[in-house]
Amino acid sequence: MTRPDRPDGPLCVAADMNLSWAYASGAPMERFCARLRKRRLEALRCDACERRYLPPRPLCGNCHQRLQDWVPVADEGELVAFTVVHTPIRDGRTGEMRPSPYGMGLIRLDGADTTLNHFLSENDPDKLRLGMRVRAVWRPHLVGAMDDIVHFEVLP
Amino acid sequence: MRPVAVIGTGQTRHARRRDDVSQPELVREAAVAALRDAGVRGADVEAVLISNMELFEGRALPELWVGDAAFASGKPCMKVSTGGTSGTSACIAGFHQVAAGLCDLLLVVGYEKHSEGHTQTGMALTDPFWDRAVASGALGNFALSVSQYAAERGVTEAQAAMVAVKARRNAVRNPHAHLQMPDITVDEVLASKMLAHPLRLLDMCPQSDGACAIVIASEDRARKLCPRPAWIKAAVTRHDQPYLGDLDRRLASMRTLRDAARVAYGLAGIDEPLRQLDVAEIYEPVTYAELAWYEALGFCPDGEAGRLIEDGVTSMTGELPVNPSGGVLSTNPVGASGVIRVAEAAAQIHGRAGDRQVPGASTALATGYGVYAWADAIVLGAQA
Repeated sequence: MTRPDRPDGPLCVAADMNLSWAYASGAPMERFCARLRKRRLEALRCDACERRYLPPRPLCGNCHQRLQDWVPVADEGELVAFTVVHTPIRDGRTGEMRPSPYGMGLIRLDGADTTLNHFLSENDPDKLRLGMRVRAVWRPHLVGAMDDIVHFEVLP
Repeated sequence: MRPVAVIGTGQTRHARRRDDVSQPELVREAAVAALRDAGVRGADVEAVLISNMELFEGRALPELWVGDAAFASGKPCMKVSTGGTSGTSACIAGFHQVAAGLCDLLLVVGYEKHSEGHTQTGMALTDPFWDRAVASGALGNFALSVSQYAAERGVTEAQAAMVAVKARRNAVRNPHAHLQMPDITVDEVLASKMLAHPLRLLDMCPQSDGACAIVIASEDRARKLCPRPAWIKAAVTRHDQPYLGDLDRRLASMRTLRDAARVAYGLAGIDEPLRQLDVAEIYEPVTYAELAWYEALGFCPDGEAGRLIEDGVTSMTGELPVNPSGGVLSTNPVGASGVIRVAEAAAQIHGRAGDRQVPGASTALATGYGVYAWADAIVLGAQA
């Protein structure tokens, strides 16, 4: 075939696929997701350097030690970076296009040392400032996945 | 380890779409150009490294399909796929093979045909438990980090736009470059479409189809084959932790590139990079990144990158021309982009950089940047 947009162009071979994948979580993420379903957030803290990791992972990237010390994390924190994205992007799980514009932030939740990238309810950059306090908005029926948090809203 | 040098470079014409050729034909175009530049034949090549991000094209095992085109059959051949650093890391792997004495003549070919696949989707296929729910691609992730960096350093949109103008005007002197925008102005950049606040269309690199190759030789072969070899003085790679949120103040700190540069400068005997380097080809996927890299690479103290671009220090006539080729902002076939940095830096040492030659260049820096914070730093010199 030729490309639909170039009927006089060179020969191209089309390829379409509709497949699904399934990935094992590992123990730390399994526990994290089970707590998410109860509207609770937890980080894994390194005994050696005391860094509190969110998302949880098996090992500390600084000390290379196994992480096993769970600590509670609040569902609110500080906005340390933000943007408003105007270009649609395909969702890496469903293949569907995500509507734009949408606000994005890096949020340092109270009790964590890493930051969390997530959506913001606000999509006017003039109404966003670094250092703002933001809080998670949870969806009504929790399933134990990262999008149990719909987005973060700016606190008054 | 033994001294090694780049003795030949070759590039394709880079464009939005190269559907006049298949992937192997694209690779062959660059490979043959590099061999011709080095004055060697395909049969002389002893080992091959391929750089490509196969997920972008959705075509597995690129080293299988393009191996013949790169003269790899019957020889050692492997692939490097590390995002934006694929090309520089493939070159570093090649340097190490020759330096270790495994072979005397090695070909590196990097390529990408973004037009044949889904680059943004490829980048969204990250960690399925966390990132995929909230991925916003290279654009959104960069914009987040830029908001922090610009606020911390006081960098302005106009200063970023000057980087865009410098890159695209330099590209006019590079016949291989994808974007050709001889009349581009700061106002035009600032009026271009907003993609992800504060990044505009002309702040971003394009997606290109293209390939680039280099020939690496041992000391004996380099001295016989090349009048002015580009000797590898240092080649350093750094990776970092997995999630965007793991990297505190990513652009302002950029500890990987800072550390890679510090080690590379130490090996190459460089104390004052701005004065001792003659030219730099750095991997700048967005305008603000170039400013952040000036600081990470020690071209200026932290907070003075905006002044550096305003004063023209990194322009073609400045103290340290950065990206005479037009950089990644003008040409970006991802698997090739890092190889292009090394090839352009080497061509400057060879004295074969055409209209974009920095007169008498004898010390050059090439860098790679990949995913959130992976970094490569390579110093090339005219003296072994």
